[in-house]
Amino acid sequence: MSEKNTLFNWFMLVLKRDLVLSFKKIATFMVPLVFFLIVITLFPLALGTEGSFLSTLSSGVIWVAALLASLLAVESIFNEDYRDGTLDQFLISGEPTFILVLAKVLAHWLVTGAPLLLASLISTFFLYLPEGLLFPLLISLLMGTFLLSLLGALGGALTIGKTAILSAVIVLPLSVPILILGVAVITSALNGQDFFSYLYFLGAMLAIGIPGLCLATTEAIFINYD
Amino acid sequence: MINLIKKWLISLGSPPLFFKWASKVLPWFFSISILILFTGLIWGIGFAPTDYKQGDVYRIIFIHVPSAILGQSIYLMMAIFGFICLIWRAKLAGMFLRSAAPIGASFTLIALVSGAVWGKPTWGTWWVWDARLTSTLILFFLYVGVISLYSSIDNKQKGDRAASLISVVGVIIIPIIKKSVDWWQTLHQPSTFTITSAPSMTSDMYLPLLICVIGFYCILFSILLNRLRAEILIRERNTSWVRQFLDNQIKE
Repeated sequence: MSEKNTLFNWFMLVLKRDLVLSFKKIATFMVPLVFFLIVITLFPLALGTEGSFLSTLSSGVIWVAALLASLLAVESIFNEDYRDGTLDQFLISGEPTFILVLAKVLAHWLVTGAPLLLASLISTFFLYLPEGLLFPLLISLLMGTFLLSLLGALGGALTIGKTAILSAVIVLPLSVPILILGVAVITSALNGQDFFSYLYFLGAMLAIGIPGLCLATTEAIFINYD
Repeated sequence: MINLIKKWLISLGSPPLFFKWASKVLPWFFSISILILFTGLIWGIGFAPTDYKQGDVYRIIFIHVPSAILGQSIYLMMAIFGFICLIWRAKLAGMFLRSAAPIGASFTLIALVSGAVWGKPTWGTWWVWDARLTSTLILFFLYVGVISLYSSIDNKQKGDRAASLISVVGVIIIPIIKKSVDWWQTLHQPSTFTITSAPSMTSDMYLPLLICVIGFYCILFSILLNRLRAEILIRERNTSWVRQFLDNQIKE
């Protein structure tokens, strides 16, 4: 078997394992989803239900809720495997840790980030999102939540065995550009401007973030096993 | 020659030698920095001309600008030493990071608070959501993140390396944060110091400000050296040289 093939097999193995494990436990993909919807519900309760007011806030509220939901879900990436010793086995197996991290982040995003896209569809009705903003909202959330999963993985790896709120304190300030760009996509679409320039920025951050943040996460895992 | 410099650097990186060097340097360096700082502050607050537009309120600049500059440059220093700590696993670099982070957080907080005090009479409000204020606030949160990370890890070496990693990642993301925060319209006046063009204020105000900045830097390094000495003593408390040093201290 060629070198490339074994790497891909290793990647698929981890991905499949993580996906199967999370679908066996309904909590892993239900909890972030429900958390997201609850946060969305809190805003009309706190701010009032006036339609035009809510619709001006809608994109920002959806983005903040998505940010919180995906960053608080990071605990499930490494903590479980760390507690039962699976992570130790992964590390001593001699397979590249970088690929492991990549597969685990992708699995985590498929389980927690992708359902958020569906939930945001529902929340657009709750918050009266203005017409024609669905596409920019979904595409910015698609790229943004993956970036957030990458950042969350770094936070989770740095705080293995500790609470998720610590990793949120560390990672939330770093996620500011994602939030600003994500909301900028939607507001520029609302004003009828070309929103693709902001999407390119998000894409560029994704292109740097996938290798860069995975590398940092790998290093963070090694620090724990020093 | 290069070998000599290398040897000198490596010897400086060893905690006992650095401790001895710092103990020797600190007393006179501290007095010099106090001298520079008070020269700058007294000149600035007492003798610099009054601003024709803002009146005497502008004098807060002599505290605000130096601490804002320090808040940013300490994070950069932390990232550089974090890089050294991650790659060469130099003990002293980790200790540097640990001693620098609270100082950086304090200076950023001083910059924020003095800015708020300055903003009240000039802008009429304590806080404005302007690009530079916002990125300073985020910088403060980044400091808090680094501090809470290393203080949550019991093993000191691991804590050093985790904090190093997050400060290196942070320093790469900070330009992106600044750029993205710039989308907002800015209410803040353009920056006081520029490298490329001549200063926009008169030299009577500019010179004391420059002295204040140098004085703040000197004070920073004095505090840092002192904190590093304490950190070295705590970390190396089980070694023979620390015991010997403490015995000598007690005898004196």
